[in-house]
Amino acid sequence: MSAPATVKEVMATFIARDITDGEEVFVGTNLPVIRAGALLAHLHHGPNMRVMIAHTRTNLYHTPVMEHFQLLTDWRAGRWAEGYFNDHEVVFYQKSRRNSVFFVGALQIDAFGNSNLIGLGKDPHRLILRGPGAIATTTNASHVRRFYLYVNEHSPRVFVERCDFVSTVGWAGGGADARRRLGLPGGGPRYCITPLAILDFDEQSKRMRLFSVHPGVSVDQVRAQTGFELIVPSTVPLTSLPNAEELAILRGRVDPQGLLRA
Amino acid sequence: MHMGDHSADVLNGVTERRSVVLDESALDDWFRDGMSIALGGLATACHAMVAVRHIVRRRLKNLTVIGSAVGGLDVDLLIAAGCVRKVICPYVGAEALASIGPFYRAAAEHGEINVWECDEGQYYTGLQAAGQMLPFLPCRGGVGTSFPEINPDLKPFTDPVRGETLLAVPAIEPDVAVLHAAFADGYGNVQFVGTGYADRLLWRAATRTIVQVERIVSNEEIRKTPERTALLASAVLRAPYGAHPFSSPGFYLEDRAHIAELVEAGRRFARSGDRQPIEAYLTRYVDTAPTHVDYLEAVGLRRLFSLDEYTR
Repeated sequence: MSAPATVKEVMATFIARDITDGEEVFVGTNLPVIRAGALLAHLHHGPNMRVMIAHTRTNLYHTPVMEHFQLLTDWRAGRWAEGYFNDHEVVFYQKSRRNSVFFVGALQIDAFGNSNLIGLGKDPHRLILRGPGAIATTTNASHVRRFYLYVNEHSPRVFVERCDFVSTVGWAGGGADARRRLGLPGGGPRYCITPLAILDFDEQSKRMRLFSVHPGVSVDQVRAQTGFELIVPSTVPLTSLPNAEELAILRGRVDPQGLLRA
Repeated sequence: MHMGDHSADVLNGVTERRSVVLDESALDDWFRDGMSIALGGLATACHAMVAVRHIVRRRLKNLTVIGSAVGGLDVDLLIAAGCVRKVICPYVGAEALASIGPFYRAAAEHGEINVWECDEGQYYTGLQAAGQMLPFLPCRGGVGTSFPEINPDLKPFTDPVRGETLLAVPAIEPDVAVLHAAFADGYGNVQFVGTGYADRLLWRAATRTIVQVERIVSNEEIRKTPERTALLASAVLRAPYGAHPFSSPGFYLEDRAHIAELVEAGRRFARSGDRQPIEAYLTRYVDTAPTHVDYLEAVGLRRLFSLDEYTR
């Protein structure tokens, strides 16, 4: 009997089950949960997925194990690749990414899924905390079929009424046509994945809504850790756990180093 | 046979193809205060550190540094040495080894440098505009965000063709691009191991380009695989281990211990304003190591040999 799934394995499994065969997924580097989610989908039910990890496109359906690599530029990742692309072409040519799935991290996220990687403060030229910057998230999230917000911390300082700055548009000021009105062709954020819960968006208002809570987490706890009023349905299910087959793939092939169990 | 004046001009006495190989000492002629310098590589790989250390050693001032799209600690080192006025790139750091460059963060938070806020899409759009000799190119990424308000150079406009709101990104025009690659011949034909990240775009955007290489090879060697020639350098500098402490695909990995030393010096400064560790670093690796060979000796052969990609 194997050890029960960790929260990170639950999060990765949620991601995996939301991705279908044939889709293209873009994963950055040093994002163990997102990477595991994408690879689990690929190995479990997505033999025709196009999996982009950093600059490599890989297909591992018949490959027993893929090791995690930490750095974007680790050339040895080519061992698992069938394509290796340069940076500006990956970012530039959004048409080839219009059907792909992407992930966005954040320092702050507001009730409509707009997010901030620039920094904290009022004056952009005197930030209290200089953030990492938007990397490629602004452009990618404008164009991709859908994206997921992903954070490692669920607290009122991350989930805020209003972001100090918006580096990636979610549902702007709200409403199902918010992105169309801005002329953004991409489908916007579908879910927000946190260590406490999965959040989605109300179909009409596009305000954030509690979708499920992870095992051991209460609805009140999520509410208290969210700095804006979350839509909470009358019943909130538990985030479903990985089954034995998914757990075996995660632990045996995707994450033998145990980053999700640490 | 009659020869017109025009032909006489053409026959100017040059009968040999000119080598573009630079001696390290000639780097002096390439950089001056206030220049706009694009630095190649990406994140923890392939930054042109011989040239960067040269700039630091001279303590050039008021540079506009166009870091790579995932700018590395090459930018941080230039900021640490007080060389930088403005940074144009979407990120400065070393990912898992330093989520953000400590000197960059401190200087940005204290308003000591001007950060031209952008994402990778906007950054590449500006370089592309420069390469096409256009005043700007449009970009969609950033519509609906705070970018135009933080960086007023990114101007929302109505596209005259389809009526969409887009951002006009002005050309980002480096005076010089400074790159690190695997091979070049003496005439400036450069070949990478790996993709070369976005170095070709920096070359297209820049007025001139210096490329340091792991190895200078013969023109015959380049001609075996002409399709791999990525760009034509204005100048080539022989620089084995020239990306150290960063990696160079096909040759060596990043030197994590060395990077940690630099990052720790930055964190000490950011925490307590203590410049002693960074000054010690600069003394040891830059100021008392006036050439690349001196630098490699300061790092030590044993360390350099330990950075092999596949033997450990």
